[in-house]
Amino acid sequence: MSKLKNLSDALNGIEDGATIGIGGWIFNSQPMALVRELIRQNKRNLHLVPAPSSIAPDILIGAGCVAETGCVFISFEQFGLAPHFRRAAETSSIKIHELDGPAIAGGLRAAACDLPYGLIPDMCTDLPRVNPQTYQPVPRQPGERAMLKVPAIHLDVLLLHAQQADELGNVQYFGPVFFDVLMAQAARKVIVSVDRIVPNETIRRDNHLTKLPSAFVHAVVEAPFGAHPTSSGGLYEADDAHLAEYVKASGSTESFAKYLDTYVGGAATHADYCKLIDNPRLDEQTSQ
Amino acid sequence: MTGTDCSMAELHAVLLARDLLDGEKAIVGTNSDVQVAACNLARASHAPTLWWVSGPGGMVNCNEPVIRSTARTENIAWSEAMMDLPQMVDFIDWKIHFFDFAILGAIQIDRYGNINTVCVGPHDKPRLRGPGTVGISALTALARRFYVVMARHDRGSFPERVDFLNGPGFLDGGTSRTDRGLPEGGPKFVLSPLGVFDFEPISKRMRVKSLNPGVTLEQVQKQTGFELPVEGTPPITAMPTVDELKTLRASVDTSGVLRERRRA
Repeated sequence: MSKLKNLSDALNGIEDGATIGIGGWIFNSQPMALVRELIRQNKRNLHLVPAPSSIAPDILIGAGCVAETGCVFISFEQFGLAPHFRRAAETSSIKIHELDGPAIAGGLRAAACDLPYGLIPDMCTDLPRVNPQTYQPVPRQPGERAMLKVPAIHLDVLLLHAQQADELGNVQYFGPVFFDVLMAQAARKVIVSVDRIVPNETIRRDNHLTKLPSAFVHAVVEAPFGAHPTSSGGLYEADDAHLAEYVKASGSTESFAKYLDTYVGGAATHADYCKLIDNPRLDEQTSQ
Repeated sequence: MTGTDCSMAELHAVLLARDLLDGEKAIVGTNSDVQVAACNLARASHAPTLWWVSGPGGMVNCNEPVIRSTARTENIAWSEAMMDLPQMVDFIDWKIHFFDFAILGAIQIDRYGNINTVCVGPHDKPRLRGPGTVGISALTALARRFYVVMARHDRGSFPERVDFLNGPGFLDGGTSRTDRGLPEGGPKFVLSPLGVFDFEPISKRMRVKSLNPGVTLEQVQKQTGFELPVEGTPPITAMPTVDELKTLRASVDTSGVLRERRRA
């Protein structure tokens, strides 16, 4: 059965207040076409669980879609701090669940295994002080390592971007998978945008690239340059000029409203968005 | 500005590389130009079997003589293994002393080498919201040692106590780190634009190891939020040799990513 959907249908049924996982890694494979569609559909009060990330959670926060977010790492690296995340944190306008690598890995792994919680080493940080729901004390026997328990992190919906898939939902990665696969195992629903849909024979020829077999995937969406302005597994680089434009536009409410008008509201479909960024072409490059 | 023609980033890469040993295992974070350069410079000179892995991407011993973000797909073609993150978190986030060292940046570092990349001011209403913790808690807690590279050196970035502790150094000094159940380890050196700092063996207080050319003790003390013990007159930081810079520029950073940075 085909899992291929258009952008709008793929996100249909996501409720306000849902817990949304976001895959990728900082400026790599942020599922931006899906994120822009969430904004178009005016989703509200979302609870985000982003892998280390940049513009995907930031634009959702800026567009007013977010009530709470986990933060393992949200940064614009060489472009500075994440503008809307930073402002929301500094004005306490959203709730932030401070997480570190062990807590998100332990929590996702617990969810993937249907365990109530995971165990992580107590690193003696201030994280338990500001996030006591996540970092819970565990009785320690003499001579035992000091541990904390972290509740399972269940995702209602996970948004990912990868390079190619077939209609059945076999998803292939040309680059690193980061936390995508672990998150998929912890999610009730996995929606993946890919730069191109290919025949099943193509998938079979390089099946070592299929990091997400179809059993883990609920919908695939064809969205060439769907990670733009971030990179996609060697198919295209991050668009530094666009990222800089985003950061600049985020400087004031007016200029950010204009950015959203142009790139989200003003582009009714992903094809319209591609026109706005001058219709870049995917080259014929494959994983080889 | 001194007579030594190298950038601060090149200086830091060389200083770190000198301290890395053959056969050691290391992890490098996402945007870590100095860290990549230090590891590959060590491999190109005295530590050919130093083993390093990209934290986010899983590429091992990438030896392209161009410095890129370690998350980039291009690095795969220059690497000798490609690991998946869910496997890597076993030894990144849980295992004690798998890594011999990590090299980290921070918004703040305090007198006992604890680091902060989360926020300045209270967490619920910060004056500055930083990017977050990612692997820093685990690497500072579990690696055999770590190094910290600070982009700035002032009383705000070197406070008496970090506003938020998300990377444990020596905690409250003395034996408090191991008393609280953390493995042996902690920070070895701190590199800043002003000099190199290490820690007293017993009290674990940060102290001056060397000053960069042209920097005075008074200046460093004035720009540090706590008292820095000094033993005698600190030496001047040993700047990169001609050979070190040649190897760095010809075999590690051929496109000059580090050279473009601020002059030392």
